[in-house]
Amino acid sequence: MTVIKPAEFDSFWDDVDNDLASISIAPEVEYVQLRSTDDADLYGVRITSIGPYRLFAYLSIPRGEGPFPAIYYVPKNGSVHEVIPQGTAIGIRSRYVTFSIAGRGMRGSDKPYTAMYPGQLTDGLESADTYVYRGIIADAIRGLEYLMTRPEVDSTRIVTWGNDIAVMVAARRSEITHVVSTPAYLFDTVEHALKTSSYPLAEYSDYLRLYPDRKNEVISILSMYNLRWHAQAVRAETLLRADHSNGIYSPEVLAGLENGIAGDVTVHESERSSFKDGLFAEKWITEKFFGPDVKAIVPEHWRSTL
Amino acid sequence: MKVDRNYRCKVVKPDDFDEFWDGVLRDVNAIDLDSTMEKDDLRSNDEVDVYQVYYNSLDHVRISAWYSVPKGATGNLPAMIQLPGYQSDPPIAREWAAKGYACISVNPRGKVRSRTQFDPGYPGLLTYGIVDKNSYSYRGFYVDAWRAVDFLLGRPEVDGANIGAVGGSQGGGLAITISAMRKEVKAVSISAPYLCGYMDAIELTHAYPFHEINDYLHTYPERREDIENTVAYFDGISFADKIECAVILNVGLQDNVVPPETGYAVFDVIASSNKKLYKYDGHGHDAGKYVHGAIIDKFFEAELKGGK
Repeated sequence: MTVIKPAEFDSFWDDVDNDLASISIAPEVEYVQLRSTDDADLYGVRITSIGPYRLFAYLSIPRGEGPFPAIYYVPKNGSVHEVIPQGTAIGIRSRYVTFSIAGRGMRGSDKPYTAMYPGQLTDGLESADTYVYRGIIADAIRGLEYLMTRPEVDSTRIVTWGNDIAVMVAARRSEITHVVSTPAYLFDTVEHALKTSSYPLAEYSDYLRLYPDRKNEVISILSMYNLRWHAQAVRAETLLRADHSNGIYSPEVLAGLENGIAGDVTVHESERSSFKDGLFAEKWITEKFFGPDVKAIVPEHWRSTL
Repeated sequence: MKVDRNYRCKVVKPDDFDEFWDGVLRDVNAIDLDSTMEKDDLRSNDEVDVYQVYYNSLDHVRISAWYSVPKGATGNLPAMIQLPGYQSDPPIAREWAAKGYACISVNPRGKVRSRTQFDPGYPGLLTYGIVDKNSYSYRGFYVDAWRAVDFLLGRPEVDGANIGAVGGSQGGGLAITISAMRKEVKAVSISAPYLCGYMDAIELTHAYPFHEINDYLHTYPERREDIENTVAYFDGISFADKIECAVILNVGLQDNVVPPETGYAVFDVIASSNKKLYKYDGHGHDAGKYVHGAIIDKFFEAELKGGK
């Protein structure tokens, strides 16, 4: 299947930037006593993205002297919006500013649009302009714009962490210094969706089964969101977390993304263990931010392996 | 961190445990299931028909579920109940239907599509109403899952004598409770079970979602005793001595979400003599899923399909 960069790619995304620039961030910040710890304060943040659409985010700031490196957890394809991802050592909040935003449709940002899962990935797929990811990627960029206003953030060390959107934000904003991404659905989407019945990619194959006559149109729309074309603008050091060799987004498949990214890229092939894969990522970012002599902050049951 | 195989959790099963749950079941049994089922053409494929299901549960909360059946099936299907994790959205379990099972994947209250009447959020569900057993979130949440058995028993294509339950993490915890409370469940696969040894887990690991309880205690330390009293009624370990069906249970020894110690502890209390434990060194919350998936498939084939 041939994928072609759309001629109007740059103008499409410039329009998103222009839409964002025309709307005030309008932050409201509220202390969250329940989720604050002895080491970190937690805040609930509300900001405005394009639409206009009001979003919710969690901001955790270590106690003590900053500035601190920042981990920006970008929106994911799921309803639940977490402070930090499930299973992450709570202690990382003593070392990093963490910022987690709920893209439109996720809990916390689900008024007026409440996304369904599955369902979200094909919402608005009538055109590139109406596709829900135009708004969600704008939401993610808007989150970074807010994060950059925080004096507690060390602007030389900011990582986007998540799935495809982690790459997208780094492509659109040069303030991102590092990326940890597990591509899941926006790299050569239709080609790979047609090979699987597993979600999330299966949302697209479900859609095309019901609307087969729209296939070329859908390919054209999704090409605007294809990581292949966004990668060329990524200057950040990047960790790509690939599937195992016989998975959809294997290292071999992701070579097409890896080779396009302008910054240094590390590809980690899944070892089919959430422990081993998670530990690799935690060590990678710790070394990038603090050098080889500082240990990663990891959960109790991982510590003996450090 | 070395994992103690003989770890014992501090939870003590309340003397009135059965009385409490009998009362809850009386309440829910007075409510008509009133299930509805609508084919979802978008999610159905060449092998599997998928339906959106709704039914009533405790407090008249309307519960949604996905129901998947092999295309063209008419009767005598073994059935599976797929139980959801804590923060993940309940899946459409087409893969079980493709293997020849009628499968219901439940969205208990507060999950996507079951949020209209009850929605404590994430984080939030684990501590919602936790100061009393009658107000705790999981009182209804558990029953929502158990009622999936009633739905299956009402389906003409289902062989009610061959019902299994499967789940990981919170789904593993729910699998423990459903196999304890619904004797129609003939075989259960439990992976990395959450909701076991609550008060031990919050000391053994400091990561969400269990850390929600630490957050709560940090703010309200005076409520610790109330919380301990409540969760004893909901702890998988308190249910485990009622499980008599065939059981497999797997844990990852580097699990960063659910401490493997609590998995060991609940396994040891399970009453069934037909039980087997699998431990996966070098694995976290996946609990060896890649390898263990084939073991789960063979287990249910043997238990629900007579090895066919």
